[in-house]
Amino acid sequence: MYKLFGKRALALLAVLSFGMVSAVNAAEIKTDKAFADKKIVLQISDSDPFKQTLVLNVASNLIKAYGTDKVDIEIVSFGPGLRLLFAENGNKGRIQGLSSEGVRFAACKNTIRNMGKKLGHAPALNSNAVEVSAGVVRILDLIDGGYTLIKP
Amino acid sequence: MKLLKKAIITAACAGGILAVSQAQAANWLMLQGTEKPGQAARAKVWGFIQVQYQNDNSDANAAGTYIAPKLIGPNLSSQSAFNVNRARVGVRGTGMPLDSNVNYFLLLEMGNNGITEPGDAFAKMTDASITLNHIPGARVRTGLFKYPGAEEGLQAIHVFDWVNFTDVSNQLLLERFPNQSYTANIPPQPIPPTTSLQGFDDSVGAFRDVGIQVFDSFRVGSDKSWDLSYALMVGNGNGLNWSDNNSKKDIYAYFAAEKVFGGTKGPFRDGMKFLGWSQTGVRSYDGNNDGVSENYDRDRWGVGFKFKKSNYRVTTEYMAGDGMIMVGVANPSFGMGPGAGKPGAPGNGLLGEASGYYLEGGWRIGKSNFELDLRYDAYDRLEGDRFEVNFATWTVGAQYFFNKKTRATLNYASRDYNAPNFPDGKGPNAQLDGVDGRASIQLTHIF
Repeated sequence: MYKLFGKRALALLAVLSFGMVSAVNAAEIKTDKAFADKKIVLQISDSDPFKQTLVLNVASNLIKAYGTDKVDIEIVSFGPGLRLLFAENGNKGRIQGLSSEGVRFAACKNTIRNMGKKLGHAPALNSNAVEVSAGVVRILDLIDGGYTLIKP
Repeated sequence: MKLLKKAIITAACAGGILAVSQAQAANWLMLQGTEKPGQAARAKVWGFIQVQYQNDNSDANAAGTYIAPKLIGPNLSSQSAFNVNRARVGVRGTGMPLDSNVNYFLLLEMGNNGITEPGDAFAKMTDASITLNHIPGARVRTGLFKYPGAEEGLQAIHVFDWVNFTDVSNQLLLERFPNQSYTANIPPQPIPPTTSLQGFDDSVGAFRDVGIQVFDSFRVGSDKSWDLSYALMVGNGNGLNWSDNNSKKDIYAYFAAEKVFGGTKGPFRDGMKFLGWSQTGVRSYDGNNDGVSENYDRDRWGVGFKFKKSNYRVTTEYMAGDGMIMVGVANPSFGMGPGAGKPGAPGNGLLGEASGYYLEGGWRIGKSNFELDLRYDAYDRLEGDRFEVNFATWTVGAQYFFNKKTRATLNYASRDYNAPNFPDGKGPNAQLDGVDGRASIQLTHIF
């Protein structure tokens, strides 16, 4: 009886915990674009420099097509794709421009930690980058929040 | 006077170091020596192929033989030839992509040209360098790479708008290195030649050296539209050869100031550039054929200007040199006629002086794929010497761009070579009188 109650309690606790975590993550999706018709999450996880240009181009094209206030875009970078958000990255001018149009940039903490081990120090990130616990979790949360995933 | 000119150029270089605000836009120093931070691949494979056909209309001398300018290089065995003159494959990037502070550049030449023809090499490494970008304002590049110098030599050859170099760059800057021991001159040859007219043992310098260079580029001005670049280098002064053959080192200095117009990037960036450079070094050679090598100074310097905007391009450079003046690939003694083996004697370039200039321009016709080009170059070899020779060439050109990576280049060069201190048919003019036009077509594909 006690064991059964214990298992049920644990299960209930797990469900509640998951719900709380989801609620916390969902709460992290802060956007200034309350009237956006389209909600897009762009994934950059590739080491190919061309992909960096491509993902920024896609963000620009989405804004051109729908208008700044009508599309909500977050670019999530993890793995080798985190280099896009390095402070020294040659695309920092474009990142600043997109940020001023409301595009958000998420940087994976797991990747930052792992890259820091290889480099001997944490990589310096673009000031527009916002750290998230895990890039892939962030993408799933955004999808749950109604975002459409595009991986250029 | 020469020292003053060098001092001015070197001081200008030093001035560049004082500039502030690091540049991100590229120029030749940055394009070839650095990678884009946070973007470079671990190993980007690239290269280019150039296939050409050239036909020379020059006449033989009275004996029915030919000098090198009347024949198609690098083999100098015919007046018309197809050739794969460049076939290069390379790899560049950052070995550890997370760390943009270190990058490398490797390039191998497998075409048939002055790099590979001497020694009949299958392939020759032209670039193998590592750049350290840790110190703001003082990047360090070391290894084998293009030394900082004249625009015509420093620019990437696969975007060069002409088939052949100007005479002043070819003879004054594209260095032919002294052979290990005194080598007698080679007389004009029939077709086919009985002896190779290439008298030099080693590859041409290819505007490269093995050494260490400190350099950087800075954006200045209220709108950051001026790009200032400097480079200081110490090298072996032995071209593509891996090591040195004397203890003397070459010193290179370079400074460029470019007003960047914006809109384009990389090698086709629109801008207005002013540049100055100098080289000073020593070459060891048994120039007097006594079995013992002597040291000869080799100094070069120059200034240049390049303007490129939209469909238009204009470039001009002036270059001068003192010592180690080559008087033809068939004359490895660096002396012609009575000057062979006699440094300081008339016709000998070991202690000679030379200078020259060129003015070239191009016009891309509207939004079409065609470009028209025009160039005039002049070279005064062995200035003040009885065997002084004036080289003057008008070249008209047209280019057709199949796409951004593939183009055909058509050139016709009208050449007037003359030794002013000799009448027609006498002295060097006995060989030069027959020099005439040269037509060439070249297909370039970059990958």
